[in-house]
Amino acid sequence: MNMDRRSVLGLGGAIAAGVALAPGLHLIAAPAPSSEAASPDSPPAKRWAMLIDTTRCAENCTACTTACRAENNVPLFGDPDRDIHWIRKVELRDQKHRQPPVSLPVLCNHCENPPCVHVCPTEASFIRHDGLVLVDKHRCIGCRYCMIACPYKARSLVFHKTRLPEGGNPKVPIRAVGVVEKCTFCAHRLDDGQKPACVEACAKADKNAMIFGDINDPNSEISQRLLKEKTQTIRADLGLKPQVYYKGI
Amino acid sequence: MLDEYSVIEGRSQGFLKLLAGLGVLILMGAGAFFYVEHHGHAVTGMNNQVVWGLPHIFAISLLVMASGALNMGSMSTVFAVKQFEQFGRFSAFLAIALLIGGLTVLMLDLGRPDNMLLPMVHMNFTSMFTWNVFLYTGFMTLCLIYLWAMFEHSVYKKTVGTAAFAWRLVLTTGTGSIFGVIQGREVFGSAITAPTFVAISLTSGTAISILLLVYTFRMTGRELDQRLVFGMRNAMIFFLTLVAYLFVVEKVTRFYDPASFAVESWILTGSWAWLYWCGVWGMGVIIPMLLLFNHSWGNRVGGVLLASGFVIVGAFCFVAHTLLAGQSYPFDLFPGYIISSQFQDGVVGSYTATLPELFLGLGGVGVSGLIYLLGIRFFRMLPNRGVVPKGWDVPWNP
Repeated sequence: MNMDRRSVLGLGGAIAAGVALAPGLHLIAAPAPSSEAASPDSPPAKRWAMLIDTTRCAENCTACTTACRAENNVPLFGDPDRDIHWIRKVELRDQKHRQPPVSLPVLCNHCENPPCVHVCPTEASFIRHDGLVLVDKHRCIGCRYCMIACPYKARSLVFHKTRLPEGGNPKVPIRAVGVVEKCTFCAHRLDDGQKPACVEACAKADKNAMIFGDINDPNSEISQRLLKEKTQTIRADLGLKPQVYYKGI
Repeated sequence: MLDEYSVIEGRSQGFLKLLAGLGVLILMGAGAFFYVEHHGHAVTGMNNQVVWGLPHIFAISLLVMASGALNMGSMSTVFAVKQFEQFGRFSAFLAIALLIGGLTVLMLDLGRPDNMLLPMVHMNFTSMFTWNVFLYTGFMTLCLIYLWAMFEHSVYKKTVGTAAFAWRLVLTTGTGSIFGVIQGREVFGSAITAPTFVAISLTSGTAISILLLVYTFRMTGRELDQRLVFGMRNAMIFFLTLVAYLFVVEKVTRFYDPASFAVESWILTGSWAWLYWCGVWGMGVIIPMLLLFNHSWGNRVGGVLLASGFVIVGAFCFVAHTLLAGQSYPFDLFPGYIISSQFQDGVVGSYTATLPELFLGLGGVGVSGLIYLLGIRFFRMLPNRGVVPKGWDVPWNP
């Protein structure tokens, strides 16, 4: 087929126009009917939240982080800058060292206004109906914009190839290299009526520093304690409405 | 006069060597891509704090330059600066070439490049990345239509050229807003970031246009009236002044806020301060200004070329500094407290680029270069002579 240069330019323009406009057609597609549409009489959805009592969190205790790794097959590569941390222990000191240091776990805050979800170009990061902020590993393109946007450093890229460890939890599939992963509040356990692994491990270690529950239920322990006790969230100034509350800092 | 365009012959040793050199760059980039794809991003210098590295610096620099490369076309079409009309085709085509090079690097550095088409299917309109998908493809479309108008249907040139000019401003605003909308990292999150990216696109785009025009004309034995270069020099001085103004306004404003004092002090004195002072200010603004205002250097084409080279390096340093300093500064989870952990909390993030990253970035430069070279080889992008209209002279010389 012979094409003159004018045709090549015209064809190039048409292809580029097609590429530019084709995604836009997606916009006018009819919305899919929602099977989960709430009726006016249905009870409010659950809203999971966590309260961490730092006065009960021991500096040398890593029960929560260890349980998280085992439950969610979170690998350690021995590469500190690139290791994956769904939950980590952080030590706080006041700048003048007047108070004793405080040890506390930091994890995804499952914000009500999550910047990671806002910046994700493919909606791989999304908010589940019960407020959990999750990552669809099949839709993640590994652009890492969510890691730039998250102020809690709660997300990790899978830098190394991973495989299910011996004795690993078959209920939680491993994540492929190149995608971003983070704490899920153990969504698979919540769906089975259990609490997150870190909360359970903290209780087993006789610390009970982590309280987990539904804050839409006014009778839940977490709702009651949030009403009565003085708590705060991390970086409340950013307006993200995080759902991990801290007592004692 | 203005209709006399021709392709380059493409038979010289120089052309073939250049072609081979660009081919090598592309092969290096392809090799680096497959290497990172096979081993994961662990073989790059990136980590969980500095998640965007050298490939992004190359990509964003090329994208910013692409927008600025349209300067000459816009000057003639929108602002009726007639002496640059003859370079309209060159200008629009160079913008396309740089854009494709930048996007290539950006897409090949994804953690899952096999999913790169997903942003076209699943869109999130609160994400600057999604908007940028439209902005980049739309800009390329407008540039192609602009070219078509300049080649065959000049009646549409003004309309399309004006649309492309407006689009490029929005495009670079979108690129700058990738960082401007981020509140979670102390260094980002400034409304002035996007206009600064626009200003940087003006300087770097003009600089790459000057360099390529002068060298292409020299290597193909075409005459280029040096007054045209001096006209662009004057535009560059104006754009550099704009960049310096925005830099100063941002710093003064941020320093006025006590909450930003620590981070701004770190920028000026911390681990990336050398890049800020030597690269962004020194090579990006001060040295080019001194050269262009100098009576001797500023009135020689060689001096303008040298200044243009510095401006491009300075723009690269600006993007590098925005990314690296922005990500390295420790997360301020608990303002007023000293924090530490096994996840590098409370410490300045480290980043050292690796060879695969450099090769991937250079691969993008190779792609842009090859497209430009093949473009001027097969399409009549360049005028036979670069001349000034009768009665026109450079209004000011240093």
